[in-house]
Amino acid sequence: MSKYHNFMKRPLSRREMLGICKGGFGALAFTSLFGALPIGCDRKKPIASKPDLYLGPHYLPKAKNVIFLYMDGGVSQVDSFDPKPRLARENGEDPRKKFKVDATQFDNVGKILKSPWDFKKYGESGIPVSDLFPHIASCVDDIALIRSLTSKFPEHTNANYFLHTGSGIQGRPSMGSWMTYGLGSENKNIPGYVVLDGGLIPPGGLDNFKNGFLPASYQASILKAGAEPVANIAPKEGVPNLQEEKLRFIEQMDHSLMGKMGEVDAVESAISNYELAYKMQSSIPELTEFSDETKATKKLYGFDSDDPHTRGYAAQCLLARRLVERGVRFIELTCPNVGADRWDQHSNLKKGHEANAHAVDQPIAGLLKDLKSRGMLEETLVVWTGEFGRTPFAQGTDGRDHNPSACSMWMAGAGIKGGTIFGRTDEYGYRVIENEVTIHDLHATILHLLGINHELLTFRFGGRDIRLTDVHGHVVKDILA
Amino acid sequence: MELTFLLSNLLEDPSDFIIFLGRFHPLVVHLPIGFLALAAIAQWATGQPKFYSLRPFLIYLWGLGAASAALAILLGYLLSLSGDYDTDTLFWHKWSGVAVLVSCLLCYLVFKKQKDNHRPMQWVFVALALATMVYTGHLGGNLTHGSTYLWEYAPNTVRTVAGLPPKKEPRPKVTVLDSADVYLDLIAPMMEQKCTSCHNTGKKKGDLLLTSYASMMKGGDHGEVLIPGDVQASELFRRITLPEVHDDFMPSEGKRPLTQQEVAIIEWWISSGAPPNGFVTDLDSEKKTIQTITNYLGLDKNTVLSREVPPANQTTIDSLIDDGFIINRLMKDNYLLEANFSLSEKPIALSSLDLLTDLKEQLIWLDLSNAQLTDASLKKIARLDNLMKLNLSGNPITDKGLQHLAQLTHLESLNLYHTEVSVGVLELLPKLTRLQRIYLWKTKVTDSLAHRILSENKNIKLINNRQ
Repeated sequence: MSKYHNFMKRPLSRREMLGICKGGFGALAFTSLFGALPIGCDRKKPIASKPDLYLGPHYLPKAKNVIFLYMDGGVSQVDSFDPKPRLARENGEDPRKKFKVDATQFDNVGKILKSPWDFKKYGESGIPVSDLFPHIASCVDDIALIRSLTSKFPEHTNANYFLHTGSGIQGRPSMGSWMTYGLGSENKNIPGYVVLDGGLIPPGGLDNFKNGFLPASYQASILKAGAEPVANIAPKEGVPNLQEEKLRFIEQMDHSLMGKMGEVDAVESAISNYELAYKMQSSIPELTEFSDETKATKKLYGFDSDDPHTRGYAAQCLLARRLVERGVRFIELTCPNVGADRWDQHSNLKKGHEANAHAVDQPIAGLLKDLKSRGMLEETLVVWTGEFGRTPFAQGTDGRDHNPSACSMWMAGAGIKGGTIFGRTDEYGYRVIENEVTIHDLHATILHLLGINHELLTFRFGGRDIRLTDVHGHVVKDILA
Repeated sequence: MELTFLLSNLLEDPSDFIIFLGRFHPLVVHLPIGFLALAAIAQWATGQPKFYSLRPFLIYLWGLGAASAALAILLGYLLSLSGDYDTDTLFWHKWSGVAVLVSCLLCYLVFKKQKDNHRPMQWVFVALALATMVYTGHLGGNLTHGSTYLWEYAPNTVRTVAGLPPKKEPRPKVTVLDSADVYLDLIAPMMEQKCTSCHNTGKKKGDLLLTSYASMMKGGDHGEVLIPGDVQASELFRRITLPEVHDDFMPSEGKRPLTQQEVAIIEWWISSGAPPNGFVTDLDSEKKTIQTITNYLGLDKNTVLSREVPPANQTTIDSLIDDGFIINRLMKDNYLLEANFSLSEKPIALSSLDLLTDLKEQLIWLDLSNAQLTDASLKKIARLDNLMKLNLSGNPITDKGLQHLAQLTHLESLNLYHTEVSVGVLELLPKLTRLQRIYLWKTKVTDSLAHRILSENKNIKLINNRQ
């Protein structure tokens, strides 16, 4: 409302009054900018008394944090976690004679293409994993593999929005925003939703990580694992206290603006973001300083690899663990730029997938083992997925096109029944034939593990109580411990 | 000639098809009930001027009632040929059903003849039709669900009027395994849940009654169903373990089958000689059976979560937050809490540990990692006996402090990563009966000790390395 009445002072409506009481913290934030009140980007939680508006998990959570390993571009399921011997038998035959082939993005349908990698069974559960991921394979007993993820979009940008926000169209809040909105952040000095930039921002850009209609404090903060993780993190002012003087001045300005406008998210969130940015000047350097990590730990993650991309992703994974230790709710890792255009191998499947797998395999396995040994995997959910799968037949001669009808993904950690396989594709790995898991189901399941009923986490926008899962989503109970 | 032969043949040995038709009886039987109720209501309503115009239609309602009653009687007769029902009740059900039909027809004829349908005499016929219908319906219900079905949950005053003894006090819920009776707490409830809807005094399928120990042992049409001590020879056990698609499988007619656990318990009961009573723990049984029974009776559930706790004192929470704790509610409809000190920038104060004791009721998760805790301070944690998850990693604590944790019997997860503990774990674990996971990497617990711990505590997940 007040958006359309800028700079006009008018009495608060009942609705606004309630709105401020339940969620507004602007006034409090003013007093706490340099004080000690633990507000950060968290909302003030009434704990003891029965609040009208309850914030927090609906039921006892399994997971407190989520690490989302996003495999940008779409990993080929038949080359990673869903072996299909029939592809080898019918290698080089015309797929159109075998099954109905959907329209593909590049309309360049080649022959049936067998996987260039062998599969072996691993662990007590005997889950087969291809030679692309020898390290992750050593963790299969902690992993629940879903071979039946589907998407609604065969193209990256929409599929990315769908995966990240539950809608194929730009503009909805990202799942990380929903989760920090639903649960708040534990750490007052670091944002609750962090994206670790590996070098590739997925198609669709930053809108994948935005807060949409949720308050702006819930958008992702993007950190780089490197010398300067956040741009301009070091204060530029030469004179001591100058920065604080400046901030105090801005605070006064904002204060008078708030007096005129009422509690507007743009101002409220700006205030909390300033406050957080100020605190990050000290918290971020401490976070990204790896000197207190042992050599063995660094080696486990792959810091001593010959491959610079492995080293880069290892730093991201280690940073992810350190963020979990500091109470960050949702951490997404984007892929390193290995020079093969993400996992999107429309040609040169072998070289491209190998380069990508080599970069992420050891760091991910290192992360899982490190979390487990410290007892952190019990409270941390690790999710590994692309936005869709790839075709079992070639694009041209040696690539694979997009395939939203089947995709393999896995989850590990908090509340997950390790060593499980859920869902099944046909004999070519082209389509899901059993236990389809939609993106909405995936979101519902992640929220469930965080103790949130996906049907109850809503935000009123455009006259509707909107959910991350829209009107869809079923929790995939079979993979839960 | 041939037709009558066929028919009489069919009647002696009713084919499946006849019973198939018969099974429509429970469906069709509701039509006359509805029609007759409607007819009676309409009869009454047409006394009011507003509904005079309905009078010409009354006879059709009685006619419909009669026709549907006739159909229900026919199908009911076919169903009765299966012979699965108590003959006494069946006799009265059948003939009172016929009486419904007759009184319906009477109503029909009376109202057809006399246009002025509000003479007191006519109400006698209406009342007769309704009364016979209620009586028949009640008997039908008794046949299907057993004669105790209707009054089972009736208030005791109603039960006394109906000439029944007051409600059986349900056996108090078993809270410790030692007090569980083998028949009353295990077998009888199972039978009641899964078997007695067909094998009761009213229905007695296969002439088998499973409502009491004596009748169970008596057996049915084909003789005894339970041979104490001999599982394989016991027909009851055979029937419940057949493949579900098998004709002989019990419970039949798609009713909910017994669970694996229930089958296992029945198997154990028969092989222990099918005793009529006795404490479970007095019978000679393997550890695995005891586990199954404990789980079946829900005795291994963590009771921490099922308690309703009052809200915690806000002042305590505020002071803990000031001390560096993060306190979170863990669910919406209860006031259970987690306390997390791992993000604090200050070392822990002993006074905070005292404050935590005030949250004893609510606190189920506690993270005190890297808090510079000492052995002595663990003594204070010992009072938090509702804890399910405790993280003490990164603290210089030793076996000496560990012994204080023995009282935390609800613990499911204990994180001792990066502490100084060693053999103390071996002594502690048998006391933590609900513990599922323990983290011991970077402690003084050697591989061989870990091995020993595991061999003595089978169900525990122990992590002491990073492979």
